[in-house]
Formats: sequence, C-alpha cells, structure tokens
Amino acid sequence: MDELEAIKVTFFQECEELLADLEGGLLAMEEGAGDLETVNAVFRAVHSIKGGAGAFGLEPLVRFAHVFETLLDAVRAGSVPNTVELAAVLLRASDILADHVSAARGLGDVDMAASAAMAAELEQWTDPNATPTAPAPVAAPTVAEEPAPAPALIGADDDAMDGDDLGFVFVPQTITVEAQAADAELIPSNVWTVSIRPKSDLYRKANETALLLRELSRLGPIKATLDDSALPLLQNLDPEAAFITWSVRLETDQDETAIREVFEFVDGDCDLEITRGEGSVEASIAALTAPAEPVAAVEPIAPAPEPVEVAPPIAPPAAAPVAEVAPAVEAAKPAAAAPAAAAAAAAPKATPVEVPGPGQSVIRVDPERIDRLIDLVGELVINQAMLAQRVGEYGIAPSSNLAMGLDELEQLTREIQDSVMAIRAQPVKSVFQRMPRLVREVANMTGKQARLVMDGENTEVDKTVIERLSDPITHMLRNAIDHGLESPEERKAAGKNPEGVVRLAALHRSGRIVIEVSDDGKGINRERVFGIAVKKGLIAPDLQLTDEEIDNLIFLPGFSTAEKISDVSGRGVGMDVVKRSVQALGGRISISSRPGQGSTFTLSLPLTLAVLDGMVVDVAGETLVVPLAAIVESLRPKPEEVRPLGPVGSVLAVRDSFVPLIDVGLTLGYREESPHPTDGVVLLVEGEDGSRAALVADAIHGQRQVVIKSLEQNYQQVEGVAAATILGDGRVALILDVDATINLRRREGGAPRPPEPSLIAAE
Amino acid sequence: MVAAISLPENLDLKTAAPLKAAFLERRGAEIIVEADQVRRLGGLCLQVLLAARKAWEQDGHPFSIKGPSEAFVETTRLFGAAGALLPTEFQGAES
Repeated sequence: MDELEAIKVTFFQECEELLADLEGGLLAMEEGAGDLETVNAVFRAVHSIKGGAGAFGLEPLVRFAHVFETLLDAVRAGSVPNTVELAAVLLRASDILADHVSAARGLGDVDMAASAAMAAELEQWTDPNATPTAPAPVAAPTVAEEPAPAPALIGADDDAMDGDDLGFVFVPQTITVEAQAADAELIPSNVWTVSIRPKSDLYRKANETALLLRELSRLGPIKATLDDSALPLLQNLDPEAAFITWSVRLETDQDETAIREVFEFVDGDCDLEITRGEGSVEASIAALTAPAEPVAAVEPIAPAPEPVEVAPPIAPPAAAPVAEVAPAVEAAKPAAAAPAAAAAAAAPKATPVEVPGPGQSVIRVDPERIDRLIDLVGELVINQAMLAQRVGEYGIAPSSNLAMGLDELEQLTREIQDSVMAIRAQPVKSVFQRMPRLVREVANMTGKQARLVMDGENTEVDKTVIERLSDPITHMLRNAIDHGLESPEERKAAGKNPEGVVRLAALHRSGRIVIEVSDDGKGINRERVFGIAVKKGLIAPDLQLTDEEIDNLIFLPGFSTAEKISDVSGRGVGMDVVKRSVQALGGRISISSRPGQGSTFTLSLPLTLAVLDGMVVDVAGETLVVPLAAIVESLRPKPEEVRPLGPVGSVLAVRDSFVPLIDVGLTLGYREESPHPTDGVVLLVEGEDGSRAALVADAIHGQRQVVIKSLEQNYQQVEGVAAATILGDGRVALILDVDATINLRRREGGAPRPPEPSLIAAE
Repeated sequence: MVAAISLPENLDLKTAAPLKAAFLERRGAEIIVEADQVRRLGGLCLQVLLAARKAWEQDGHPFSIKGPSEAFVETTRLFGAAGALLPTEFQGAES
C-alpha cells in the first residue's frame, strides 16, 4: 500500500476512536456529568479530527470540524454555558461530523443541507448575539426553497478540492473576521515568538509545516522568518529530511496553551519554543539547535491541561487485551518519557480518563497476521494432541520424562493459545458505541422518545464475532423502538414515563456471550401476531399455540408486523433474517415478552469461533465432542433413577428433580433404537436458557481442547451439530450443538417442557 | 539555452525527490520554474526550491519563477520565503 494511503487508513481508524470518545463525552455531558475534563476531552477529539483532516486536505470535514471546535472552545472557556440542551445539539453535530468522516473515507454521503444548517446552529450557539451575517439566513432559504441543489453537492464532497462551497455556510472569511477582531484588541504584550524546528518525521507522517503556519495565522497575524542555514547543497540534499527552521512572530490575544494546541499533532516531530515578546531569531533558533537531541525532554510539549493523556499508557497495562505485546512498546519509551514519545502514542487518541485499559491498544497490527497466528496455533494444538496420542500408543508410563515433557508442552500450547486469543478479543464497546446514534435517529423518525441504557460494554469477545454483531443488534434495536415502544401519548395514557427505555446489555454466560435487547414497551400483541401469521398462511388457523410459541412466530420468514412499511423496520427484512445470520454464527436468538411491560430479545453467541473445550464421547461408534461449557456433570444412572414418560420418552431423577433423557445417537440418527440408559453414560447438560437435559452416550473418552472447523464453510449446516474438529488421531469428529439437540428432541415430542417456559430458544 | 520545469499541483512529500532530480538534470543553464499549477506547497519541496535557487546562484545562471499561482504565492509568503522565491511584483507584505 502507498505510504500516504496507509497513513490515511490509520487516520480513519483514529477518527473512529475519536468519534467514539466524542460521543461518550457528549453523552456524559447530556447526563449532566460533564466536568471540565470531559469538555476538554470532547474538544480534543474534534480538534484531532480536524487536524488530521487538514493534513489530507479533506476540506468539508475540516470546515465543519472547525465550526464545531469553535463552539466547544467557547464552552471550554466558559463563555457558552454547558447545558443539557447544548449537549443535545452537540450530539447531533457529532453525528454529522461522523457522516463527514465517512464521506471523506468514501463511504456514504453527507446531507450537505443538514450539515450547513447544523453549522449555522453551532455558530448561533457560539455567539448568540452575533448578527448571523452571511451564513445562516443565506443557508436557510437555499435549503427551503431549492431542495434540488443538495444532492448535487453531495457528490462533490468526495473531492475536497472541488468548489463545493455553494451550499456551504462557513466561508474561510469568518476566520479572517475573528483574526481582525483579535487584532483590534491587541495590546503590545500579546506578541509571541514561536520557534519551529520540524523533524523529518513530521513530513514522513504527512504533516506539513505550511499547515502549522496557517493554523498559527488563525490565532492572529504572523510573520515567519525562515532559517535555511542548515540546508545542504542541492546535490547533497536528502529531499525527505527536514532542514529549514522557522521563527514566527505572532500577535494574538490567545494564551500559550492555544498556541501549543496548534502543534498538538506534531508532538515529538517538531521542536518548539514559545516565548513571549519579540524574540531575536538567531537567539531562539540557537536555543533550539544547541542541545541537539534532548530538546524534546527539556521541552514539555504536551500542553498544560493535558497530562492525563500521558498518564494512561504508564498506568497498569495489565487489563489491556494486548498486554503481552504492550510491555515491549512500553519499555521502549522510558516512563518519564520524553513527552514526545508518550504523546505520540496517546495524543492522537485523546482518550478520556474514564476509559479503562482495553481502550488503549498500543500497537496496530494487520488483523490478517493475527488470524494467521491463530490458525497456526490451532494446527499446533492438533499436532500436540496427535503427538500425545502416539506416545500413549507406545505405552509409555505417565511418570516418564517423555510423558511429563509432553504435559508441559500441552500446558504451554494452551497458554500460547489463550494469549493469542486474547490479542484478538475486543470489548463489544466498539459495536455498542454506534448504537446511541441509531436510537436517537430511529426515535426521531418514529416520533417516540427513547433512552438507551447500555450495560457490559467491556465484555470481551473474539473479533470475528464482534464484526458480525453489529447487524443483528441494529435490527433488534430498531425493532424494539419501532414495534416495542409506544408513542409518548400512549405511554402517558398507560401511566408510564413518556420516555421509553431500551436496554442493551452484554454478558458472559456459560462460555458464550449473551446480548440482550429489552424495552419497556407494550410487549408483543399476541392476538395480532397470531392473526397475521394465519393471514399470511404461515400457520393453520386452528393451531393451538402457547404464548411463547406465538412470540416466536415473528422469527418466521415472511412475517412482518408493521401494517404499513415504515422507514425504520419495514425494509423487507424481518426478524427471520436476524435469526438466520445469528444461526450462521453458531448463535441462537430468543424472545420473551410480557404484555404491557415489554419484550426482551436474547442473543447468544460463542465467544470465539476458533477453539473449544470439549468432552470427547462415543455414540453408536461415532466420536462426538460435547462442549464442556454446557456440561454440568457426568454420571452413570442407576436403573431406579430412570422413569418412563409417555410412549417413548423417559426422564432421569437427578437429586430432587427430573430431567429429560435424550439419546444422542437416536436424535442425530445414528441408530434406530436407543439402548437402555443404564448401559451408557449420562452427561447432565444445561442449555442456553438454563433448562437441563440428560444426554445419553455410550462412553466418555475424556476432556480435550479442540480446534473448531466450520461445517458451514466446508460443507453445510447440520442440525444438532455445531461444527467439526480434527482429533489427535487425525479423524474428524463432530461437535454437538447441545441446545439444538435438546430442541430437536423436544420438537419430536415425548420430553416434558423445560422448567422455565418463559424462554424458548427459537430453533 | 533555457530549461523549464513545470511544477505539479501537489508539492508534497512524494514530489520532493522527483523535483530534486528534475532540478539536477537541468543544472548548468538558465531555468524557468513554472508555478502556475501549484495548489499545495509543502516544507520539503520548499527546501528543494530554496536549495535549487542557491545552486543556480552559485553556478551564475538565472533562476526565475514564472506565473506563480495564488496558492504558491500565499504559501511562500506564509513560509517567509517570498523574498527568496517570488518575482518582485509578488513580494508584497508577507502575511
């Protein structure tokens, strides 16, 4: 990849983090918890995006970010009060900023009219008394009377250099006006001398002195004097190394912090000296040049209010998922660190203090490399198992050196595997943080009031799973607001708070990740659901169904309850699509609903799609793997504990309760007739929903870690089977899908209903 | 003999090396640098231009910049390099 392109990719990655920080900060402000530090963090996020965008010439983004930043700066300075209303406006502005970032990236478009209107609104907030000169009034009629130009503008957005100013509110002149205003108030002591000595790295990172100077000129009139005395002869010139230094005389009524902020992005890549008053050029340049290397250490480049940024990387890295990798990097930077080094890592992220460890990944690695590593470790695990098996076949004593060495190898392999998996594990936060915006938009569109409460954002799950969480969650949230929540009037009439609450939670449960989306709305209208299913010919009208079965009808293909196709959920894709995509991931989705109190969708997915701890069992001559996470205990049933139930079924008495007995061989079709349970071994398993069952197998071989090989990818989905694996002896074994097996059996009848009928896995 | 160089639109990191090479090739004769296309001028290319101007001065050959674009003039002034690079009529107040 082109070097600059690569930097650009990094910039957009950082943008994503920054936008998330921005939104997090704004949400805190909206809840009234925004202290000065939050405002600062929010400001830095926008400022960083603007700076990076400037370096790549992404004009529309820069312009919008500038207006946004100006308002935030005013909030920071206290000239605009930090109110809840303001936070709401800022949140909408952050949505538009996110659109600009996406557009700059070539994904999606910006609604330029909305952007212009928002910019005008932001300017209005910045200075309510200002007669909104050119911008606002011009923009409004344009939008109102001629909606047509808007789409034309959208296309132009991609090419930043194009003259897309037509509908644009903020013309660069605004800045000049500010500068002149500053000029007027000038008092002589507001003269600064800024010595800039760029390092080669500054240019290599696609930063530009010209931009720094231009940025400085926004603070007030500048006069730059360049010193090219270090410039080699043309033939000896390294064209990519920095030789020229500048001394800039700046007149501004801003303080030193504002000047330093201009250089925020080039921390460490540029030696800087700021002195008040007219500095002699020679003197300041000499000051910079003299202690050639350690300048960065002497010079606290990080602006005063920001030591927090430098602190986190030094704070305990233990929690970070990249902990194994991180220390190396950490060590490379001496702790007391040249602010340069620390800031280089921390500054572009402007991570707010409240974000815990996992947010601060220090190394960016191409995911493909990690995937390859994980594949290799998988092979290593298989290989190690084969080796152990061979050794076992030779009848070597378990206490022998060889056997003990092998044990150690197994443990090491295990540790490597855990560590590698930990590298790829990420908190679900990256998906969750996109949701508040979705909720705001959907609520706006449907005229409902909704508040999103999120829980368990730091729950970690493998990256491969995370990537595919977004769509189902988006869909479930849309569904919850559009179909679940009532309108504010209905809610008031029902004696509820007009603002509905939608809860999004993630948690770990029995080796899987569970995502819950619940609302406090009206619950599923079962009569209507049943009616629609009948009308659409999905079920027979005389079918007797339990409440749960009716609820689960919404997962049937072709079912859509929206009477008219709404903008929000009625897009021709129903919950059946969600269910299918979840199933493809080896997950399950279920619903529980209480009329008048709301519904809960529960989505459960494996934590990783790579490895699994399992119990290897023998069933009708086949080797199967039962996920260890599902197994509660294994036992050999006594004859008196087995009780027949109905014509074919039987239950097992385990302590004080009865659980259905399921013969795995029969359910999967390995055999026609099941042997008596007392001849085999019983695995007491617990399903997703907490229901228990007793699986009958012929024999247990032992516990093993297996590498999951997808059946869907290599063959096709098989009911009752989650995936396949390769055993130590090279044979392929199927991994049992415990829940699906229980449900298969349940559907065939003969087994009693589980103790908790409120939750039925929709299979 | 008069050589000419037409500066590209974007004088950034990537242009610096080719620009230097282009100057070196044309050394030893009067040169006219056409700057009418320039939309962006970066610090590295500024260095090449300054070094080239010095080199031509040393060789005793004329070095001139022709028809500079607005962006070129503006950025050169910003850099404080107007005196060294711009034709006299553009050497107004440095902003």
